Amino acid sequence: MMIFIGADYEELGLSPDQLQERMGKWFAWGGKMKNQGILRGGEALHANAKRVSGPDRIVSDGPFVEMKELIGGYYTVVAENADAVVKIAEDFPDYDLGGTVEIREIIKFEQ
Amino acid sequence: MVAVLSRIFGLHHLELIEDAVQDTFLKAATSWRSHIPEQPEAWLTQAAKNRTIDLLRQINARKNRQDQIPHGSVALEIDDRFLETDIADSQLRMIFVACHPALAKEEQIAFALKAISGFSMKEIAGALLLKEETIKKRLVRARKKIADLNITLSFPEPKEISSRISGVLQIIYLIFNEGFHSTKPDQLISKDLCGEALRLCKLLLLKESFRTGSLYALFALMCFHSARLEAKQMGHDIIDLKHQDRGKWYLPLIVLGNDALEKSFSYSDRSLYHYEAAIASEHVRAVSFENTNWQHILGYYDEMYALSPSNQILLSKATIYLQINQSKAAQKTLNRIRPEELGQRKYLYHGCYAEYYGQVQEKENALKEFNLAISLCTNHLERVYLERKRDAIMGSSAD
Repeated sequence: MMIFIGADYEELGLSPDQLQERMGKWFAWGGKMKNQGILRGGEALHANAKRVSGPDRIVSDGPFVEMKELIGGYYTVVAENADAVVKIAEDFPDYDLGGTVEIREIIKFEQ
Repeated sequence: MVAVLSRIFGLHHLELIEDAVQDTFLKAATSWRSHIPEQPEAWLTQAAKNRTIDLLRQINARKNRQDQIPHGSVALEIDDRFLETDIADSQLRMIFVACHPALAKEEQIAFALKAISGFSMKEIAGALLLKEETIKKRLVRARKKIADLNITLSFPEPKEISSRISGVLQIIYLIFNEGFHSTKPDQLISKDLCGEALRLCKLLLLKESFRTGSLYALFALMCFHSARLEAKQMGHDIIDLKHQDRGKWYLPLIVLGNDALEKSFSYSDRSLYHYEAAIASEHVRAVSFENTNWQHILGYYDEMYALSPSNQILLSKATIYLQINQSKAAQKTLNRIRPEELGQRKYLYHGCYAEYYGQVQEKENALKEFNLAISLCTNHLERVYLERKRDAIMGSSAD
């Protein structure tokens, strides 16, 4: 799983053209992974969050982290190991905006 | 495209979406003039996706909320909406919006042609023989109702499906008829209407829970009629069934129609479409007009009449009796009709009577009825047709 961390585009104040260009890169990246048959899915997430915590199940409204630490979405891909995904993540479009990709392996039990 | 975008953004942004789509096609038209892309469809899809991003921004700005701002990874979600299966699904949802019972019939037609079929206001006006202003008003009313009633792009509840489907079928049938009976010199649009009606029907057939006998029957009916579309018109003249070149009928559609007709009778529901399709199938089955199995057809008309009595059915029956020279039966049937209930089609009744009098050699009455029919007929081509018939019958008496 690739988890995308970084401020959202509105926060970064991208112009419509910049946004257009950036989305073009995302489409291209997604398309590439689809063509390779490795893309399994993914979602984009809203910034708003709720947290439930403690024995009293206290509910609080977020976001709870700074914008630049916000999880914006995740994709899941099929790969040999985490290192292979590092390679895939090279195409992530938002490094120049301070974005980060965190790679985590999904636990699968042997059948 | 409107259907897909509406699913992403919701129907309350309908107008914005329609404008954006129109804009995209306009851009396509301008840029394609100098250079047509190798894959026009891919080009359009890409353009549509770009519009989607623009729209997301605009809509968010309007709402002044922070929560729908796109992260790059929404790319996957947007991408999926433009998959073929998903496009079909969005359009299917849109059909049910268009045919919502809260909308008047004429609003439903206009809205369906605009939002699902992507016709421009001008094209819709041309196809329905109405002023652009009228179409515009209908669309505005339809959109307002959708907004006021908060109609969403969801499928109807299971218990509502059958009643909602029958409304949908009616609209599809109306769209088809607009195309099929059109006598405009511009044939392209009318063929488009028939094609759209068939396409919408096929979309509905995709979903198991929507399949009913009436849906298959309507599909069959439209296949049979469409197969004859080429043979029906020559230049500006309508050619009647009797004189059409049967070699011009399009066989694959007839085969498809036969399949659908067979399926339609395997369901328990019966509709007028069943019998209309069965009648149409008798016509296309006959190698020549004289070979038509009129007895079968009369039987189907009786079943139609039992299902839903109407003057129109009696009129059709009378026409057939005249066709096979059973004047007495024709007269009997005609006498059961209340012509004042036929409205605009009253001239057909008088035309029939005229032919009856022609057959029983009562020329004076025939002339009277012919002239009455001609004076009531508003369609130029049909008037010419009646006049020719009159002159032929009256002329033969002079010999």
